[in-house]
Amino acid sequence: MQNKNEIHLERWLVPAVIVVLCAGAWWITTGFDRMPPILKRGIQPSDFPQLVAGLIILLTLLMAVIDPVQVADRVARKTWISLVLMGVFALVTLIDFFLALAVFAVTLALVWGERRKPILVLVGIVVPAGVFFLFDLGFRIRFPRGVLTSLWYG
Amino acid sequence: MEAFLAGLAALADPSLLGLLVLAMLGGVLIGALPGLNATTGAALLLPFTITMEPVGAIAVLTAIYCSATFAGAITAILINTPGTSASATTCLDGFPMAQRGEAGRALGLAVVSSTIGGVLSVIVLMAAAPLLARAAYNFAPPEYFALTVFGLSMLATIGEGSPVKNLIAGAFGVMLATVGTDLMTSVERFTFGLSELRDGVGFVPVMIGVFGISELLVQASKLDVVRERIIIKAIRLPSREDYARVWRTILRSSAIGTFVGILPAEGATVASMIGYNEAKRWSTTPEEFGKGAPEGIAGSEAANNSATGGAMVPTLALGIPGSPTAAVILAGLMVHGLRPGPTMFTEQANFAFSIFWSMMFVNLLFLVVGLYGAKLFARVTLIPIQVLWPSVFIFSIVGAYALEQSMLDVWIALISGVVGFFMRRYGFSVVPLAIGLILGGMLEQRLGQSMVMLDEKWWLMLTRPLSLFFFVLTALALFGGSLWRTFFRQRQPLKSMGE
Repeated sequence: MQNKNEIHLERWLVPAVIVVLCAGAWWITTGFDRMPPILKRGIQPSDFPQLVAGLIILLTLLMAVIDPVQVADRVARKTWISLVLMGVFALVTLIDFFLALAVFAVTLALVWGERRKPILVLVGIVVPAGVFFLFDLGFRIRFPRGVLTSLWYG
Repeated sequence: MEAFLAGLAALADPSLLGLLVLAMLGGVLIGALPGLNATTGAALLLPFTITMEPVGAIAVLTAIYCSATFAGAITAILINTPGTSASATTCLDGFPMAQRGEAGRALGLAVVSSTIGGVLSVIVLMAAAPLLARAAYNFAPPEYFALTVFGLSMLATIGEGSPVKNLIAGAFGVMLATVGTDLMTSVERFTFGLSELRDGVGFVPVMIGVFGISELLVQASKLDVVRERIIIKAIRLPSREDYARVWRTILRSSAIGTFVGILPAEGATVASMIGYNEAKRWSTTPEEFGKGAPEGIAGSEAANNSATGGAMVPTLALGIPGSPTAAVILAGLMVHGLRPGPTMFTEQANFAFSIFWSMMFVNLLFLVVGLYGAKLFARVTLIPIQVLWPSVFIFSIVGAYALEQSMLDVWIALISGVVGFFMRRYGFSVVPLAIGLILGGMLEQRLGQSMVMLDEKWWLMLTRPLSLFFFVLTALALFGGSLWRTFFRQRQPLKSMGE
């Protein structure tokens, strides 16, 4: 269970993040090119995003008052680890896309409590390899070159 | 009539039939796996359809929609865990019936109710979609704009999440749709110099992220859940007594489900809840509900399956998704270069009727598969979560990449997954985000066209009867519930005083 301070923080943090994001988006729209009246098609390119950003800000303020964010539990430890693994996946893609997928799949299975070697081989080798060949041979999709994929592409 | 027969003739193509059988089996597997549902399944398998002909691709997605919605009942009855949220009410009576040794009867009731509901809704779809399209054929941009606003306002009433949070999520989706080159003026917006973003944020990676990857993160916190499993010996058709008891419920729930499905954004989950409640309200033995009442299973299953056909009516006739899964199918139509809306029934009527007949075929097929294969499909619940979700991640990421062969789409899917997880954690549904993303472009385009047409006087939209009608519906969708509750609260003391 989360303590009251943490719940209180999220109650205000979530609307604050939304408002800051929308205010940032609004600010960016002020830099969009403006069309001269002769080329304008009803609305300027910045009008609609500004309208939507303003609407989100209004709704968020309303939410903070009438329906505040409430969370009962902390994010589970295994969820945090899974999130970190996604970050690791992103980094390993620099070496090889399918190596990253295999590393992620095996590590996730291990973190989630799987210890049987055949299962780990299945999720870490058989499934990624099967998906690779399905898309490469079946759908003719070219994947980014890397240490492993280059072995196949030559 | 010509298109009606041409659509039926499309089913004579063995390759299409084979695809439908495979998709139906895949859909049943997806629906039977807790955590995966029709929307996630369709989003994950959408990239697999990119190399197919449009008829085959969309037929596959609709087959997954129909069969996964049905298959949620398998786990609802056997392990008290709805395979899809639309089957949550099926647990209430299905599992108690299974616990007293009647799992086969419960599954039989679910299969027959689902089939009847599904078939009836496809018949309504065949009749209503062309009529609705004909009515909408003469809509001008202001009417379309008002209709799209109404479609988005219905997001407020989606079952999951609170109204204001659903609207924020929907508006966030609309905001995402503004990324890329503005079609009216060719000005680049929110592209940050990335050429890949000029065409906008892709529907498919966002959907894969918010439906698939976010669910992986949700499942990470449910690893300790232990589920009780019921062993089934055989599936048998409901007895004559069962039919006599449930036929009215099936017909009523089919009508409810079809109607709820037709409403923009509402889907099978809402339909099953209303179908179940109405079954209980009309029952002569409401005290049996929750203890294994056959009407409970029939009411829920007929309603959720009939919502699939209903949801396709606004999707195809107006281009406004009738449910979350219909939103994925709408994205599929756009990916294949098709333009859903009234013109579909004049320019691509054969295509539309091929889809209708495919849905009819799948609904009839899972009567057979459901009755004879449920025992086998129930075994997929034995797949360890440690195998399932790493595999789902691999399919998600490769699927996100495959459509445009772009690593940016992989990052969009990952970011969408993380954002989707935190949205769900804080009580925001991810469904409105997906629907907002799909409708956002159309909304802005119609607004721009309306402003040109009305000489930049937006308030003139309110002087057009049909636009005004949709704006009134929007106001009712947004504030009707609050007004009703206020009215109801005021009436309650009066009622008690009167008593």
